[in-house]
Amino acid sequence: MSDSGFAVKLEGVTKRFGKHTAVSDFDFEVPRGVICGLLGPNGSGKTTTIRMIMGILHPDEGRVSLFGSDPDVTRRTKVGYLPEERGLYKKMKVLELLTFLAEIRGLRRSEGRRRASDWLERLGLTAWADKRAEDLSKGMQQKVQFIGTVLHEPELLILDEPFSGLDPINQDVLEGIVREYHAKGATILFSTHLMHQAERLCERVCMISNAKKVLDADLKELKIAERKGVVAVEFEGPDSWIYGPEVDHVEEVNGALHLILREGADHQMILARGVQSEARILRFDLVEPTLHEIFVRHAGAEAVGDAGMPPAANAGLA
Amino acid sequence: MWHNVWAVIRREYLQRVRSKWFIGVTIAAPIIMIAMIVVPVYLASRGNQSDRDLLIVDGSDVLYERLVSDLEAGGYSVAEERWRVDVVTDLRQRASDGDIGGFLVLDQLTLETGEAVLYTNDRPSTVRRLTLRSAIARAALEYQLEVRGFDASAMLAVGELQIEMLVDEGSDTDDPQFFVAYLGTMFLYMVILIYAVSVMRATLEEKTSRIVEVIISSMKPWHLMLGKIVGVGAVSLTQIAVWMFMGVLGVGAGIPMLIAARPELASLENVLQVLPGLSLLLLFVGFFLFGFFMYSGLYAAVGAMCSTDEEAQQAQFPVMMVLIVPILFVTQAIQDPLAPLVTGLSLFPLFSPVLMWARVAGGGVPGWQIGLSFVLMGLTVFAVAWLAGRIYKVGILMAGKRPSLPELWRWVREA
Repeated sequence: MSDSGFAVKLEGVTKRFGKHTAVSDFDFEVPRGVICGLLGPNGSGKTTTIRMIMGILHPDEGRVSLFGSDPDVTRRTKVGYLPEERGLYKKMKVLELLTFLAEIRGLRRSEGRRRASDWLERLGLTAWADKRAEDLSKGMQQKVQFIGTVLHEPELLILDEPFSGLDPINQDVLEGIVREYHAKGATILFSTHLMHQAERLCERVCMISNAKKVLDADLKELKIAERKGVVAVEFEGPDSWIYGPEVDHVEEVNGALHLILREGADHQMILARGVQSEARILRFDLVEPTLHEIFVRHAGAEAVGDAGMPPAANAGLA
Repeated sequence: MWHNVWAVIRREYLQRVRSKWFIGVTIAAPIIMIAMIVVPVYLASRGNQSDRDLLIVDGSDVLYERLVSDLEAGGYSVAEERWRVDVVTDLRQRASDGDIGGFLVLDQLTLETGEAVLYTNDRPSTVRRLTLRSAIARAALEYQLEVRGFDASAMLAVGELQIEMLVDEGSDTDDPQFFVAYLGTMFLYMVILIYAVSVMRATLEEKTSRIVEVIISSMKPWHLMLGKIVGVGAVSLTQIAVWMFMGVLGVGAGIPMLIAARPELASLENVLQVLPGLSLLLLFVGFFLFGFFMYSGLYAAVGAMCSTDEEAQQAQFPVMMVLIVPILFVTQAIQDPLAPLVTGLSLFPLFSPVLMWARVAGGGVPGWQIGLSFVLMGLTVFAVAWLAGRIYKVGILMAGKRPSLPELWRWVREA
């Protein structure tokens, strides 16, 4: 089963609901040991894709494999899954609930109980172990759900919008745990519509828009490859020099202006114009575009809609 | 994979058995039942003594002795007042003074027509009026028959019918009374319904709380359904076992002790005589189990295809109708267990739990029919499991509108 370097592999997967195509001819691979973000606005097909990986939905066409073999065999012991719509047995005590979840993943009860206690302690929930799930705050419930996902120490974590509904502090806590878990060698696939989260966490990103894959790449390579496209400038004086045939449009980010260049344009031309103008240039800087900018570049602004965060707010949070 | 099913059974069982609701109902129900038997007897034995003192003025000279035993059995303490001039006026005065509660006047007319007059300060209840009327009429009839030379007491004891069986029907001597058979049938119907609905609710709760996605990613839907049904079934058996144990303890040991301590409660002895025997109780458990497995499967499917409580309330209606229909025939099944209609209906597996048990309680049902009904129910359990399992598998992960019948059929075919 270790004959495959991929934790997840989708080949030509298509899923339709009636006349609506939720996922269309989707090829997608997650190499072992990476953190991969599945990005896209609401309704783009992220959850449907994840549900097909988890065997909750069956693709109309195409094939899903996990660790190079039949997903139905590997799923139970090797995969931890946090669904988008969270749920717990409300009347159950937290520790018992976690023990049960460990048990159905094939752990012995005593072992499951021990690991659950450890995790509760790590996340500061020990005092709540004997409380009913319904008595916990939403943030605490989400932590409990996350514990339920990792109890059996899966090699692959699949998290559907893991950060939604968490306050910034708990987002950081969860992010820390995900990193730590990844450091042990696990593969992590998570979906999000929060680009800045993906930008901080991912090694690999896959973007989907309107049921189709628009981008699938290593984040570092992607950023280098996309770097040519954006120039950050700060200057005093007239601004007419920044507009030219090379520039597609201009955005303001953190007080600086980002010049978004057209494909194949040379930034040197702009710099030359600037030097000749009466403006005093304080900064001329090729910047890494934000994931949001990359996404817009590939999917078109209309595809993002109101789901992706605007770059300014994005940068502010990051 | 059985590890998973076991985990689900265990969770379902412990969560339910530990709940306050379960403990409360399990303990309270038999106490209420026993109270319903004991309290009326106890109250009757205490009675309102002064009220039941009865003076009888016997102008016929022959009725008083014949009345005494009947009236005393009916709870009266009687005394005779000699006939004399102005006796009625006299006693009326004493009654209005409050010395006595009332008195009964019998005369020659009573002997001929059964008519008598009760003078009383308190309007007698319907039951008391009936007791008095029938005792008086009976005494008068007895006298008239004896005057003509008949054995009045034997005939008035409603004669005697000896039963000579022409075929050997084995050692089955269970012959409980109608009301025990009827109560038992209703009880059977209730526990099947209550626990099958529990399965539906549990399924619905898992679905609406969304935890089902997590569980289904670790086990097959069919295993989850099986675990739920067996878990709830184990809870119900626990409850029934506790009830039966408490019943046996209460009736077998409690009532004799009670009678020993309070001899005036002796009429509780009657309760012991009408109780169903062991074989009938075992059949009760058997019919319950098969009934539960058939209906809980159907109810699990109903729960899986709905998304809200309201939807489930509506969707369960057809299933509930199937369970209710046999109730219409219960009276006949007990009174005339061998009638062709009830015999046929009771062999229909979904009706068997209620109707066949009622017939057996009624008496005289051939063993092969009982056996056949269990075979048919067993086959139905498998058929329901197959059908419900398929609906469950698709429905449990489906959100949105309840499926129509054609859609449901597609689920079954495609699952």
